[in-house]
Amino acid sequence: MKSSSPVKNTGAEWWIVFGAIVLFNLWTRLHKVDQPEWVCWDETHFGKMGSWYINRTFFFDVHPPLGKMFIGAVGYVTGYNGTFPFEKPGDLYHDHNYLGMRVACTLLGACLTPFSFLTVWELTQSITASAFAGVLALFDVGMLILNQYILLDPILLFFISGSTYSMVKFRSYHERPFSVVWWTWLIITGFMLGGAISVKFVGLFVILLVGLNTIEQLWEILGDMSQPISNVIKHFLARAACLIALPIAMYICLFFIHLQVLYKSGNGDGHFSSSFQSALVGNVLHNASMPRHLVFGAIVTLKNHRTGGGYLHSHFHLYPEGVGARQQQVTTYAHKDENNKFIVKKWNDEAPKIYSDEYEKAEVDFVKHGDLIRLEHVITKRNIHSHAEPAPISKKQFQVTGYGDDGIGDANDVWKVEIVGGSEGDVVETVTSKIKLHHYFMKCVLTCSNKQLPKWGYEQQEISCNPTVRDPNALWNVEDNFYPKLPNVSFQNFAPGFVSRFLESHAVMFQGNAGLKPKEGDYTSRPWEWPINFRGQFFSGNDHRIYLLGNPVIWWGNIIFLGLFTATYIWNSILAQRGHEDSLEIQTQKSRTLYAGVWLFIGWALHYVPFWAMGRVLYFHHYFPACLFSSMLTAVILEYILNTILHFIPEKLVKVVYHTFIGIFVGTLWYSFHLFSPLAYGMEATPGHMTNSSVHHLKWIASWEF
Amino acid sequence: MVQLGKSEVNGGSQVRSRKKKVKESEVEQAPLKHLDALELKQKLKERLDIREQRSYGDGDSVPSTPPKENGDVSGDEATETIITKESCSKKKTRSGETKRSEPKKPHHPFVISVQMDFMVGFLFLISLITRLVFLDLPRNVVFDEMHYGKYASLYLKGTFFFDANPPLGKLILALAGYFAGYEGDFEFQKIGVPYPENFPLMTLRLIPALCGSLITPTVYLILGEMGLSNWAGALAALMVVLDTAILAQSRFILLESMMMLFALFAILSVLKFRRFAGAPFSMGWCFWILMTSVNMGLAFSVKFIGIYSCWLCSFLLLRSFWKRLSLKQVSNLQLFFEFSSQAVLICVIPILVYVGSFYIHLSILTKAGVHDSLMTSAFQASLEGGLSSIVDGQPKVIAHGSQITLRHTHGKTCWLHSHEHVYPIRYDDGRGSSHQQQVSCYSYKDVNNWWIVKRPDREDLAVHEPLDSIKDGDTIQLVHGMTHRALNSHDVAAPMSPHNQEITCYIDYNISMASENLWKVQIVNMDNSGEESARVWQSIGSQIRLIHVNTNQAMKFSPRLYPEWGFHQNEVAADKNHDQLDTIWNVEEHRYTKHDEDKRTLERELFNAELIPQTPTYLSFWQKFWELQVKMLITNQDNVQNHNYASYPGEWPFLVRGIAYFISKDSNAQVHLIGNIMIWYTGTLSVLAYSTILIIYLLRRRRLCFDVPEDVFQEFVEVGEVLMAGYLFHFVPFLFYDRTLFIHHYLLAYVFKLMLTAFLMVHIYEIAMNVVSRKWLARLVAIGVVCWILATIYVFVQMSPFCYGFFPMSASQVKSLKWKDTWDFIIHKP
Repeated sequence: MKSSSPVKNTGAEWWIVFGAIVLFNLWTRLHKVDQPEWVCWDETHFGKMGSWYINRTFFFDVHPPLGKMFIGAVGYVTGYNGTFPFEKPGDLYHDHNYLGMRVACTLLGACLTPFSFLTVWELTQSITASAFAGVLALFDVGMLILNQYILLDPILLFFISGSTYSMVKFRSYHERPFSVVWWTWLIITGFMLGGAISVKFVGLFVILLVGLNTIEQLWEILGDMSQPISNVIKHFLARAACLIALPIAMYICLFFIHLQVLYKSGNGDGHFSSSFQSALVGNVLHNASMPRHLVFGAIVTLKNHRTGGGYLHSHFHLYPEGVGARQQQVTTYAHKDENNKFIVKKWNDEAPKIYSDEYEKAEVDFVKHGDLIRLEHVITKRNIHSHAEPAPISKKQFQVTGYGDDGIGDANDVWKVEIVGGSEGDVVETVTSKIKLHHYFMKCVLTCSNKQLPKWGYEQQEISCNPTVRDPNALWNVEDNFYPKLPNVSFQNFAPGFVSRFLESHAVMFQGNAGLKPKEGDYTSRPWEWPINFRGQFFSGNDHRIYLLGNPVIWWGNIIFLGLFTATYIWNSILAQRGHEDSLEIQTQKSRTLYAGVWLFIGWALHYVPFWAMGRVLYFHHYFPACLFSSMLTAVILEYILNTILHFIPEKLVKVVYHTFIGIFVGTLWYSFHLFSPLAYGMEATPGHMTNSSVHHLKWIASWEF
Repeated sequence: MVQLGKSEVNGGSQVRSRKKKVKESEVEQAPLKHLDALELKQKLKERLDIREQRSYGDGDSVPSTPPKENGDVSGDEATETIITKESCSKKKTRSGETKRSEPKKPHHPFVISVQMDFMVGFLFLISLITRLVFLDLPRNVVFDEMHYGKYASLYLKGTFFFDANPPLGKLILALAGYFAGYEGDFEFQKIGVPYPENFPLMTLRLIPALCGSLITPTVYLILGEMGLSNWAGALAALMVVLDTAILAQSRFILLESMMMLFALFAILSVLKFRRFAGAPFSMGWCFWILMTSVNMGLAFSVKFIGIYSCWLCSFLLLRSFWKRLSLKQVSNLQLFFEFSSQAVLICVIPILVYVGSFYIHLSILTKAGVHDSLMTSAFQASLEGGLSSIVDGQPKVIAHGSQITLRHTHGKTCWLHSHEHVYPIRYDDGRGSSHQQQVSCYSYKDVNNWWIVKRPDREDLAVHEPLDSIKDGDTIQLVHGMTHRALNSHDVAAPMSPHNQEITCYIDYNISMASENLWKVQIVNMDNSGEESARVWQSIGSQIRLIHVNTNQAMKFSPRLYPEWGFHQNEVAADKNHDQLDTIWNVEEHRYTKHDEDKRTLERELFNAELIPQTPTYLSFWQKFWELQVKMLITNQDNVQNHNYASYPGEWPFLVRGIAYFISKDSNAQVHLIGNIMIWYTGTLSVLAYSTILIIYLLRRRRLCFDVPEDVFQEFVEVGEVLMAGYLFHFVPFLFYDRTLFIHHYLLAYVFKLMLTAFLMVHIYEIAMNVVSRKWLARLVAIGVVCWILATIYVFVQMSPFCYGFFPMSASQVKSLKWKDTWDFIIHKP
């Protein structure tokens, strides 16, 4: 922190500006942080998940664990006991201690301002530009609102801006490779990246940014012919270790802790496979013991192997008139029930009743890959059956019914067992085997189509026979297996290890993420709306209303400066291509600005453009990481423009113009912040479209709903 | 490496010694400093850059001896020396140097016909043979022939239809049908239906087959145009001929082969154009830029995915212009004019072609047809028959006493509807309702869709002259024709969208809930001429909003459906946000009430009303055009559904799945779109190989190791720039699609991959021949390529039954061809 650090060179002035911004920043962020005293917006999720960490209860979420762990840990330290249910937004906290978690999140969020300041300082070495960046971050009402609550976003934004800062800071030591500070900042960058990806997968974009930056650095080093090639390799390995291996290790460690801490069964169990569930204390499968292999005559339940898949189910009700044949319904049902039980029989033979004499005499006959079976529903004694009628909802697939009397049906009750990845002679194993049931005549597979039946089907999920035999929803596993003749094996023995639990969690998370599709008719936010601040998001209602909305002056300004930057960059490239040459002074200034601008622009684009391609539900607050970069870019370009102006005016006016400009800039931002601060600190109950509302004059465009 | 480092050190000190003679001795001994190396590198790079522009940019406009650079002459000389030194040791010129520079010279613009050498003819011939034999077999409807064939028939009958793809391809098919005397009377019900005897199947299939055959020579010419040897071109063309997927796709009434041909023509034209970039506004320049833009337009007007080819062309044009920018002898003004004229041509002509195809489309399709109901009432009414036959005679001006049906104008087709059923007292989620009569949006014609417009202050309903016409801003009541209850809204949450307000037909339960049944008519598409007549509410033409007077909320269609109690009809609610498409409605059917003596006569009148003839509706081309565009955009997004043979873009490079196009009823003879796996995998491998080799070259060059001659490297980069970019432009966008995709969407990208493969093979041969300079190695490569071709032919012969689709195969034969577990050929007969 000595030689290249500019702090010492500029001294007091730098510290005054920096200190003032940080202090004012702290004041704005902590002001009314305890208001409102009820659950705001997604606090209902993340607060709840924090509580679950305190209670050690397993849950399922589409985001990686760090953010929620942090919330849980902070809550624990500051005396929250994990008992508040966080049921829905608007629930009063009463005397539960929520303040610790809020303040911790707010403080992380408050780091954005100094990080912006410092990042721009490292990029430009200009106090003016850094101050612009600091002020832009400080006066953005949106940043203030988003970072004041128990959410993942303050944590995520902290790591994103932290990564960016440590990246540029690390780069500033490029002349002292492998020194202690160099290593320190490299490692800090790695940790920040690991943190970002462990909070939300959006952290991937900042990893890409740092990755691109690193590639560029290595390219420079590679081109330095004064250094031997081994030097390049050393540089490469150091970066690979700190920027790739370290974040991955950190991510895996956090997951390890996550899975260790949450050992009790909770409401997320259903998303996971039977073997995963058997590792959770309190789950029915935990410590259960049953036969390892499946034999003919056993009573079983079949669980769909898809995330959150239910059990194969049938009941004493028929399909209604007009829905295929009027035979007994077959569905999937998410809960344990006597009606989920089936007996496995040979296709052409009866199985002896358990505990009967014949049963005692009969030999144990294992169900193997390729065997032909019938599945008889225990309670109604009907066989699982399919025929060439369309299924009730998936019309291209076939209907599956319960058919026959007392277990005697017809040839359409025959199913062929396929163990996925199995071969001739493999025996079906309880829980661990993934099986498919092929209908022998129709050449289709028993599938849970994932669609809900109407009222007549008790809103359980539809079962069909699918001619596309590779449908991933066609996988089943045996969960309960009752056959007393076989020795019971404890499930503990095949509870999955960390690696398979880790992998399964990810499969489930990605599936969950992909499943967050907007339903027809639901309002979803589209990426084009974000930069123009088209529509915000309600955080809290009642008489202390909070509405997430960026400061329009800053956000609209940001768009203009994005455009300005792009135009400048293209213009400069054209000039360069035409062989135009500037004086050295301008050249340095220009290349410094363009360098800073390019990386900030890439940061913005990486955090914004991918959302266009996402099919999942999107929200307005997804834009905030991009906005962070956009604001810094604005600061850099603004300072460049200011400098260019100052360059062209007479010497004695420079000071006046400079100070006027700063005054107007800060003044405008401060005033707009003042105007819009009710959005953050609470508005009264009258809606904004009423003329008597206190915020009526702020409703600049019709789509703002406050 | 070591040697090289040394030579560079010497070179570097030379620079210094010339520049700063004073310090000569010192420099000789001092180790080379970092700065010097950088400086030297910079210079070297500049020199190289300039060279590359000289030898490649722009044909004859460059003087034969390059003018001296400005700046420090001595320094410049010094670098020159280094270069010579460098090139003495490192650079080798390629044997065919003189031959290579040849195609760079500008030709006469229409030279293409002269260049049709033996090779082109031969390639065209074999692709013609493979594509044309047994073209009329199987004589059944194959896959999407069901759609495109049907559309061609509908053109010939002049019946309106709606398709999410632009019309040009189908128009061409229809034209072929027209010349063959086909009258469009075949129905194309479903896949597999046999064609009737008199159906000109050959003619219709001939068009795609011809286009498919022309792809082969075009590919050859493209590679030739990039300065590659005939071998590379022939190899690529051969791959096109031998690929079973391209073959199958070209043999049936499908649009892909046309789109691909136009797209490749466009690319070829761009490459031709680049040759004339140095002679702006010359004959060739104008001709080829025109050709480019016309073909871009054609490709885009056949299928929307042709847009990626347009992007590729624009990208290549930009690149060529970028190189031109560095020429100092061309003035800024000239560059500006060149750029803007190119930009204008590239934008305007494709749009003209596109709009033109729609113009023909709309002027042919004048009769009402099956897809009418997708369009707005106004659009429907402008077609002959269909809605227009119903509404033809109806009065135009809505007045007090008008009986109307109100249609939801944009999006789902449905009409404002009510019936003798009430909202349930309590919904499933525990909320209560007003328990009044349901109002919904119903997608079928029904007598319950009729409403009567009424002024609040008048009781009689019969319409008399002078008409009491309703104008923009007037307040009305809407009375449901069959139940005589008025449309009403109040501060109760709507059934399915609780944030909106409920709309009901008011029933007076005698509780303290007064009726709030006044609505203000707001005409959205009124022309602001200020004339009184412009403000009159008209049937069909006027798009209106109904604003509830008491609460200032607009009646809107909601995409949510009522559950069983509402018969799964669409919800109608009132929303405070007026400005959305779903709040727009229009009158579709309309007549005046004649007798209002009692309810019975009114009902009877509703059931059998008579019509008064009046003028037909007319919509201008542009109105229709824009409506179609919007509709196509929306439909394209809606198309998310499961298909048995759909595939993901990520699977395409590995040929995971094909598409079953057709299966014969009485044997296993089938058409299945599946690529030639040999070519397919080699292609995927070459994309990887190309990227790897490029990275190695770049890294080595960065360390100043010039492994291959400069011109070979430049060629490697430039060819890659076209072909790799072509591949990525046509492939990457699909990764972000949110709709059902098929492997035939990949074919155009695949053609670029084939060209890249051919180039790479020739490149490796050349490296073996000229750089490594081992004859035996080169021979080995050549033998490898020949073996590879033989293997490809073998695979082609094996797989061809799936393209021609009339060889009855036994089950075991089909099984033996199932080389990948994921290929789903159909086996339904032994």
